[in-house]
Amino acid sequence: MSTYLLHADKRLAAEEKQTFMSNAPTYEIDLKAFWRDPYPDLKAMRETAPIAYVPQLGATLLTKRDDIFVNEKLIEYFSSDQPEGLMTVLMGQNLMRKDGAAHMAERKVIFPAVSPKAVKTVWNAKFEELTKEVLQRVKPSGRADMVRDIAMPISGEALKAITGLTNMKWQEMDRVSQGMIDGCANYAGDPDVEARCHDCTASIDRHIDEMVPILSETPDMSLLSVQLQAGLSPEQYRANVKLAISGGQNEPRDVIAGLIWTMLTHPDQYDLIKSGQFTWLNAFEEYSRWMSPVGMSPRRMTQTYAVNDVTFDPDDRVFLMFGSGNRDADIFEKPDEFDMNQDCSASIAFGAGPHFCAGAWAARSLIADFAMPLIFSELTGLHIDGPVEFGGWAFRGPLALPVAWDA
Amino acid sequence: MPAISVTWVLPDGNSRTADVQEGHNLMEAAVSNGIAGISGDCGGALACATCHVAVLEGSESAKTCGEMEDDMLDMVDGERSETSRLSCQLIASSDLDGIVLRIP
Repeated sequence: MSTYLLHADKRLAAEEKQTFMSNAPTYEIDLKAFWRDPYPDLKAMRETAPIAYVPQLGATLLTKRDDIFVNEKLIEYFSSDQPEGLMTVLMGQNLMRKDGAAHMAERKVIFPAVSPKAVKTVWNAKFEELTKEVLQRVKPSGRADMVRDIAMPISGEALKAITGLTNMKWQEMDRVSQGMIDGCANYAGDPDVEARCHDCTASIDRHIDEMVPILSETPDMSLLSVQLQAGLSPEQYRANVKLAISGGQNEPRDVIAGLIWTMLTHPDQYDLIKSGQFTWLNAFEEYSRWMSPVGMSPRRMTQTYAVNDVTFDPDDRVFLMFGSGNRDADIFEKPDEFDMNQDCSASIAFGAGPHFCAGAWAARSLIADFAMPLIFSELTGLHIDGPVEFGGWAFRGPLALPVAWDA
Repeated sequence: MPAISVTWVLPDGNSRTADVQEGHNLMEAAVSNGIAGISGDCGGALACATCHVAVLEGSESAKTCGEMEDDMLDMVDGERSETSRLSCQLIASSDLDGIVLRIP
């Protein structure tokens, strides 16, 4: 499992890795230690060099919540358009790698597939059904790896429904998601990794090609279908479906498993849920702040621009460190603790600008309305049954979570 | 650029009034004036529903939301009312001069 997060992080670091640098102070990190636990370094940066150039990442990091919150919106300086990035080269230019009118035009097209209304009227029934199916499958065994055996299929099945690729198995969904993540991390140009990535994107294209006539005949609210209905070009809808697959698999998986672990290790907090004092949505929001599943989002500077004492030049690479901003002691009362009693409304777990996570409403519902309550109600006596380790700084979550229950 | 007058009625009953230049949206105006309860996480991309207001005084058009906005308003914090809007979708123009918004 460790390769998932390691490769995901390497992808984001590598995709942006260049020699470009601002005049920010330099902060050195040990990459392996940073991957195991980025929070001590991020805290030190916030306290001593809140905007710091990290040579090991080839990027300047914004680590304070308000700096990220303000500057992510300034797309005329902090651009998401990275034409040379491996993501664009290997997966096509999706809407996350566009800005301004081009981004908003496609965003508007996909809105009906991921809107709160679609979640309520279309996806919730599917989420309930697929979550119950996954749990019924594992229930008799009495033990499982929460990440691999429960969170991953729930996430994969939900993604199948929302993307419209219902002809894909969830295992294949996970494989192609990982293959693209690895391909985008392949800065060394390993031909095998590149070939696997091409195989994965080709598999997605084949599945899309199979579904296009079906969805043209019987349109639905899926991501592929709404793009077909809007007349987007094959390049556009292929790239956007690939974006949803590369980005929509690991985050829900990591939050489901991570929040289960949190509840099992913070019984006082779980009691607050059981007593009705707080909801699963409260738990979801606080967990996403505390252990942000997406810790970073990259940007490219388009022109000279100063933030505080740091001057950026065109083509400087900038990492917006959501996971760091979400532990900013100037904003949050107990930044390093999971505590639903504190106000986490300033969290930037879903981003803080026009690229605000399009899947946020679906994720909230899948996890807070179905995955969490059903896992606890179906798997009675759920407890941790082995060592647990977290990893990642760009994407963070438990690598494995052995659990057992009363079978 | 001409400006219009915008008033926000805060949850505690107090109110704040500011001049807002035409062309700016009222979420940005609220954030730049430090109006608590309006965060505008997504910067006006109709993605976050964190700039909810109710139009207390204003034209009919100011009280009428668009289709995508209507969908997002189902998810706002605070109770939705008949005149609820996402203030990122209210663009300052002369017909909004004197508008009064309540922060739920």
